[in-house]
Amino acid sequence: MSKQTALVVEPRERAGRGAARAVRRQGKVPGVIYGGKEPPTNIALDIRELAGAYERGGFMSRLVEISVAGKAQKVLPRDVQLDPVSDRPIHVDFLRVSPDTRIQVAVPMQFTGQELSPGIKRGGVLNVVRHEVEVYCRADSIPERLTATLENLDIGHSVHISNVTLPEGVRPTITGRDFTIATIAPPTVYVEEVPVAAAAATAEGEAAPAEGDAAAEGGAAPAEGAAAPAAGKEPAAKGAAPKADAAPAKVAPAKGGGGKK
Amino acid sequence: MLSPKFTKYRKAFKGRVHGKATSGNALTFGSYGLKALEPGRINARQIEAARRAITRAMKRTGRVWIRIFPDVPVSKKPTEVRMGKGKGAPEFWMCRIKPGRIMFEVDGVTRETADEAFALGAAKLAIRTKVVARIGLGVQP
Repeated sequence: MSKQTALVVEPRERAGRGAARAVRRQGKVPGVIYGGKEPPTNIALDIRELAGAYERGGFMSRLVEISVAGKAQKVLPRDVQLDPVSDRPIHVDFLRVSPDTRIQVAVPMQFTGQELSPGIKRGGVLNVVRHEVEVYCRADSIPERLTATLENLDIGHSVHISNVTLPEGVRPTITGRDFTIATIAPPTVYVEEVPVAAAAATAEGEAAPAEGDAAAEGGAAPAEGAAAPAAGKEPAAKGAAPKADAAPAKVAPAKGGGGKK
Repeated sequence: MLSPKFTKYRKAFKGRVHGKATSGNALTFGSYGLKALEPGRINARQIEAARRAITRAMKRTGRVWIRIFPDVPVSKKPTEVRMGKGKGAPEFWMCRIKPGRIMFEVDGVTRETADEAFALGAAKLAIRTKVVARIGLGVQP
């Protein structure tokens, strides 16, 4: 089960964009607590406290003990809005829960046994399809993480939800299919582009032995094969010719322009 | 280089970049990403140069995702041509970038390698950037 976090919050009187901005100017983050068959409460939190709790990881799947005006209550973070540029929290939502409430929550995945995976040893890459898995569980028994082992997984193999041991009372929200959590993908092969001049030299080098072979064997088929690279060289030679002519062609309009004047 | 296979119109307006990125501003595929901090234009050549720099720095390990696509044609008039007589010919493709946009993501490498790769990749781009990391547990040995 995940550990609890405690946050000190203060009630916020006014709602709306202007009030929220005023709260942010004071170095606080506006938020709201809702659910539990009670009216929603607007709150304000210290930004450093919230950012610290959020950046430690697993914040969204951890119960938070909040005390608003002396009244303690257990809540679950449901949404943290971040500024797109600074990545600092700008708003947070909390849901009131009782210990026996069944909730839907995203639990982070953890992958172990990387050194024991032959696929990763051979240069494969762990391609995580789901960094988090949505599960149904009781609010007081949210797993801190779900662990999947990569042992004995080769390139092309996958980890499915059936390979993950779920704690008691926890079931995935996706049912009816054994969905993929991660795969071991082959490494990305980086192909260095060969410069055009080098490629032409290589083509010439290949063409010569092919012709030689054809002469030695005297067969029709190799002679045809040798003809193909020779044909391939022709466009290159043609392509070079307009380049040489390009300079005079550019000069011509300039002269024409002068004539018009 | 990246470019659209088909477009409805050959030429586009110049356009302006206003506001912050409301989509594509969070990590989706990888563990680390390169985020734009200011608005600007990135063209297809810059994307390709950055991709190569990142891939080379990662030394064939890990994986790279490109989260932006140059779908705006930029036209140019030839040199020594007087104004008027219509819009120039399409010259290259670019994408408009809003601050907060995740442009590249990588996975399967350490934080140090990702930082180094993104520093080299960011040098090919014409805007200020920062490296962001996924908050969570990730891969544990």
